[in-house]
Amino acid sequence: MAAATSMRLTLIPFLFLLFAGCAAVTPDVPVAPKPEVVAPKPISPPPNAMAPAPSTPLPVPAATTSHTGPSTAVTEKKSAARGTETPVAATRPPAASASSVTVAKPATPPATAPPQPAAPPALDLNALKEQLKETKAIGVFTKLTLKNQVDDLLQQFRDFYQGKAKVTMAQLRRSYDLLLMKVLSLLQDADQKLASAIVASREAIWGLLADPKKFATLEG
Amino acid sequence: MINRTPVLIQALFVAAFIAGPSLAAGDEELKKDMTAVIALQGLACGQVVAVEVNAENDYACTCKDGNRYRVYVSAAGRVVVEKQK
Repeated sequence: MAAATSMRLTLIPFLFLLFAGCAAVTPDVPVAPKPEVVAPKPISPPPNAMAPAPSTPLPVPAATTSHTGPSTAVTEKKSAARGTETPVAATRPPAASASSVTVAKPATPPATAPPQPAAPPALDLNALKEQLKETKAIGVFTKLTLKNQVDDLLQQFRDFYQGKAKVTMAQLRRSYDLLLMKVLSLLQDADQKLASAIVASREAIWGLLADPKKFATLEG
Repeated sequence: MINRTPVLIQALFVAAFIAGPSLAAGDEELKKDMTAVIALQGLACGQVVAVEVNAENDYACTCKDGNRYRVYVSAAGRVVVEKQK
């Protein structure tokens, strides 16, 4: 009797583990992460005319006068009906329209120069290859399939430079872009760093492939 | 001797609880891999819902849309996807 009781007591934690283990199993259908809303802020005010007006009137942006869609058109009609539309010239800053104003040169140049666009990083093909081999974002079979397709593309370039193939450089470029798109679509969610590195090296790699001399060195 | 049986049962329970989820995760990884391979070949599948192992590097995949494919590595080292009837 005592042995049976002690056995029951010792089984309780394992039953707990059982339920915990079942709860930890991932569902069959992966839940997609909620996409971030990156839509630009609408430039036209809400079309609801019955909405209460703000206590301080907001400045109407100049873009609302352009025909961007039906909601803007409705807004324009409503504002015209209310007689609040301001002429375009009135919304311009006075300094811009005054031709007699002399433009004074700044006494000192701006302290900080505008930021220069970042130079593309140097291509390290071997490092990229290693990273592609090591990444866990792609399964083994997928990596092997991609390698096969890269080899096929290289063969097409080889045939092109030897005059064997009847493909054009534009077709090769399309094949290259498609292959890169496949790689990026596989990587972009699970290994964003590598995906970014490949995107950054895109034109540099094409530069190697599209130049027969550089391609020859790549082969050797 | 009598006291060893509950211990053995408990050990089996623990092994099953720990191995179950990890096996399921590995299975999901394989399905995802096969889905990507079939998609890379431009074949219709949608999503692989079941994978059977025929041999080493040789799988039979069943897709969500009902298509079945054999995915294997050929002697030349190429991944081959064959549609099954």
